[in-house]
Amino acid sequence: MNASVSSSTSRRYVIIGNGVAGNQAAELLRDRDPDSRITILTNSRLLYYNRYLLPQLFKGEQSWQAFLANPAEHYVKRRIQVRRDSRVVSVDTRNKLIKLAHNETIGYDSLLVATGGVSHLPEELADCRKMFHSFGSYEAAMATRKALPEKGTVVLLGGDMIGLDLARTLLAVECRVILVTHESTFWPHKLTAEERADALATLEKMGIELIDGEARGGVVSVQQGASGLPARRVVFRQGGDLYGDVVMSFYGLTPLVEFMVGTGIDIERGLLVNTNLRTSDPSIYAAGDVCQIWSEQENIYRFYYGYQNVRAMGAVAAINMTGGHEHFATTQEETLGRDSQGFIDSPFWSYQ
Amino acid sequence: MNATDIQIAICGSAGDGTIAAGDILRNAVAAAGYRVICFDVYPPEIRGFGKCISRLRITTEQSYSLKRQSDVLISLDDSHAIPHAGEVRDNGAVIFESQPISPCAEGEHMSAHVLPGQIPYGFPIREMAQKATGGARSRNLVVLGFIAGLLGLAPTSFQKIIEKKFAKQGANVTAKNYAGFKAGYDAGAATFKLDDATFGPLAKSGDSGKVVMLSGNAAVVQGCMDAELNTFFGYPITPATTIMERLASEMPKRGRRLLQTEDEISAIAATIGAGFAGSRSATATSGPGLALMAEMLGLATITETPCVIFVSQRGGPSTGMPTKTEQSDLNAALYGSPGDSQRIVIAPTNVEGCYRCAGKAFEMAERYQTPVIVLLDLYLSNRYETVTLTASGPPFVLDANKPLRRMEPGEAYQRYALTADGVSPRAVPGDVGCMHVITGLEHNELGRPNDSAEMHTAMSNKRHDKLQAALEHPDFTVTKRFGAQGRVKVGILAWGSTFGECLEAMFMAQAEGISCAAMKVVMLSPFPTKAISAFMDDCDAVLVPEVNYEGQFAQLVQGTLARPVVRLSRVPSSPMPVELILGEIRRLAGVAAASAAS
Repeated sequence: MNASVSSSTSRRYVIIGNGVAGNQAAELLRDRDPDSRITILTNSRLLYYNRYLLPQLFKGEQSWQAFLANPAEHYVKRRIQVRRDSRVVSVDTRNKLIKLAHNETIGYDSLLVATGGVSHLPEELADCRKMFHSFGSYEAAMATRKALPEKGTVVLLGGDMIGLDLARTLLAVECRVILVTHESTFWPHKLTAEERADALATLEKMGIELIDGEARGGVVSVQQGASGLPARRVVFRQGGDLYGDVVMSFYGLTPLVEFMVGTGIDIERGLLVNTNLRTSDPSIYAAGDVCQIWSEQENIYRFYYGYQNVRAMGAVAAINMTGGHEHFATTQEETLGRDSQGFIDSPFWSYQ
Repeated sequence: MNATDIQIAICGSAGDGTIAAGDILRNAVAAAGYRVICFDVYPPEIRGFGKCISRLRITTEQSYSLKRQSDVLISLDDSHAIPHAGEVRDNGAVIFESQPISPCAEGEHMSAHVLPGQIPYGFPIREMAQKATGGARSRNLVVLGFIAGLLGLAPTSFQKIIEKKFAKQGANVTAKNYAGFKAGYDAGAATFKLDDATFGPLAKSGDSGKVVMLSGNAAVVQGCMDAELNTFFGYPITPATTIMERLASEMPKRGRRLLQTEDEISAIAATIGAGFAGSRSATATSGPGLALMAEMLGLATITETPCVIFVSQRGGPSTGMPTKTEQSDLNAALYGSPGDSQRIVIAPTNVEGCYRCAGKAFEMAERYQTPVIVLLDLYLSNRYETVTLTASGPPFVLDANKPLRRMEPGEAYQRYALTADGVSPRAVPGDVGCMHVITGLEHNELGRPNDSAEMHTAMSNKRHDKLQAALEHPDFTVTKRFGAQGRVKVGILAWGSTFGECLEAMFMAQAEGISCAAMKVVMLSPFPTKAISAFMDDCDAVLVPEVNYEGQFAQLVQGTLARPVVRLSRVPSSPMPVELILGEIRRLAGVAAASAAS
């Protein structure tokens, strides 16, 4: 992390994405290249907030200001331009131009793609998308919170580690949490059958009600609840149903890369990068949940999730964009552990 | 209860419907019960060029000026609105088109200029207008709907205003425009609100009168009509034109007469003639027109003919800046005629004042037999405010003439009799036994030419002294003190439209713990020496803010009272910024404190 500072002046860095990776990169870019122009492009209307902390919304803190990582003045002081409400539709890698949905074109010298991912929804549930309560942004989380009555019932489909993190908070505020298991439960942890059974038992001990989704053939639809019943009805393929005030899907993440399709950059599910986080285009880097990093150990391109990883990627990308030679550590602890109470704990839940 | 205080700025190009949107919004929120002050800025060019901005401040209680920072900015044309993005406060909203039809280079879209502390709301305004109405012309209605939905305003009052506004264009046009509004409303209501601009509940109205939305010029017209203005002569000139336009619509309905003359000289000549004939008469103009009227105003003074001249000031000299406000015609209003041409000059400070001054001007013109100039300015003429009209009817005396005694047989009628109060019984043509000479020459009591030193001195005294009574004209505010009573560090002395900004600045300074007071001066001639002197006695320092280069009012105060004042004379082509006045108050309070300590 101590690579020499680039001597470039007035270089234009553009970061697509306003999350942990993008903002970590922006801070380091400013430190390492004080004369540069730094622009963050984001769909969001808010400045950077830590999405990993959104479960706190259910504990009482509701003001978006409380979630901001920095005050507005910080961006002025650091000369980091944050272009909000600015969706990227395509990137012209030949001319180094980015086209925004509102028909504006902006140039870059070096680009970092840090758009993250969105909650994955199995294809068979795509038609019910509107029936799901979302948790991907502050606004969506607030809408979900509003829909959830006090001590209401939340049905989690899938149950990846993002969802289970939320479940911990929901239990703490005395909500009833029902988890419909799926092969993606505990994602991105990869557990043996034995480990999984043990982890599921722990979830029950924590107070989560389990329904074996796989045994019921999976969920085939989510519908509006009938009059006098909770707001949502979950229907299983092999019959039977389940009601909840809120139904959320936690089947892992889908990286947001549509706008990069057609650029000629290597894409599998995410943008493919080496451990220096550079894509197949030398002026374009990727960091966070949007990229698959080459793992020497596993001999595959794979995703590395969680706040700590994403933040580290932002830093590595910034260093390398400014002439450094840093590598992302692809060997790391990913074991699903237990905390002092015997409840499950995950390195992906470390937010400091 | 949280008081409402929201300022919304709508900015677009001429032809975008910017001003029309402001008009609908102010009327809708006023109908809902809020108080409004609104000022539109538009270019001298016609459709297709130039920037238009409509700024509205919506409050629970009537405010005195616009705020420097808006809570919401709506862009109907980014090329014009981008320079104003910085006017929006932190946590305020910037609303703009998210799908412009033309490609734009970097930095040409509003999203590039939204500051970190502001909340951007891009949405497809044009597309929604096209979907809802089949065309893009109702973009202004779509954005109105959006902010109504976003801010939680009920659509019903908007619907009524839209129906009224488009009634003449038929049901189809009305329906389309409302469809545009509704599409925007639904989008706004569905948008997650991140800004903190909110409408609080309305207090129960304690007003006994009728609340109406009027511009300064409309208030002048209302005042004229309620004071039974009988004849009007005028020649169009910005920003006074709408006075004549409105009167042209209103006067014939009541059997009164209006004539557009060939120029301003004819207008004032005819106005004086009508006044001579006993009719309540008036004209309206701006600085360049006042210059043309100067010579004839002297005739009104020397013939002691009642007439009223409304002068709406704009940037000068010469043609100057027709669509920019200024207070630089004070000297012309006070002195702009040959000789010692005494006259009454009054300047309202807000829209309600426009109404009162307009009506009272006719009373004064008759009672003191003199021309009365009502000095407005573009900011006051064009700004809209909610005004409460008294329930008991117009507060004006409809015949303020001194009673005319019947002439005895053989008695010579003395039109210019030297009386104790300086006012002579005035006869109008046709009054039996009152035939007399009238001339622009100096004259004796009979009106016959006389240039003796004694008579000229006597008549000069008469024309001057009779006006002093106007300083105590019944039911008229000549000056008024606001803020702290007794000794203060800073006193603000102001006239005309700038007083509203001064009052806001005073309240802000008081909130900071600065001891200060403000005095509005409505009557500028005759000069209210006693009241202003007393006010100045109480002040460690006296600040005189005004929108002209030379500090004309400051000169008047200093010249008349031979006492120092601190001038704050600026020509920003816009109203005086409140923060500028506040800065001077702070500076003077600091200076005063330092002097006291030493």
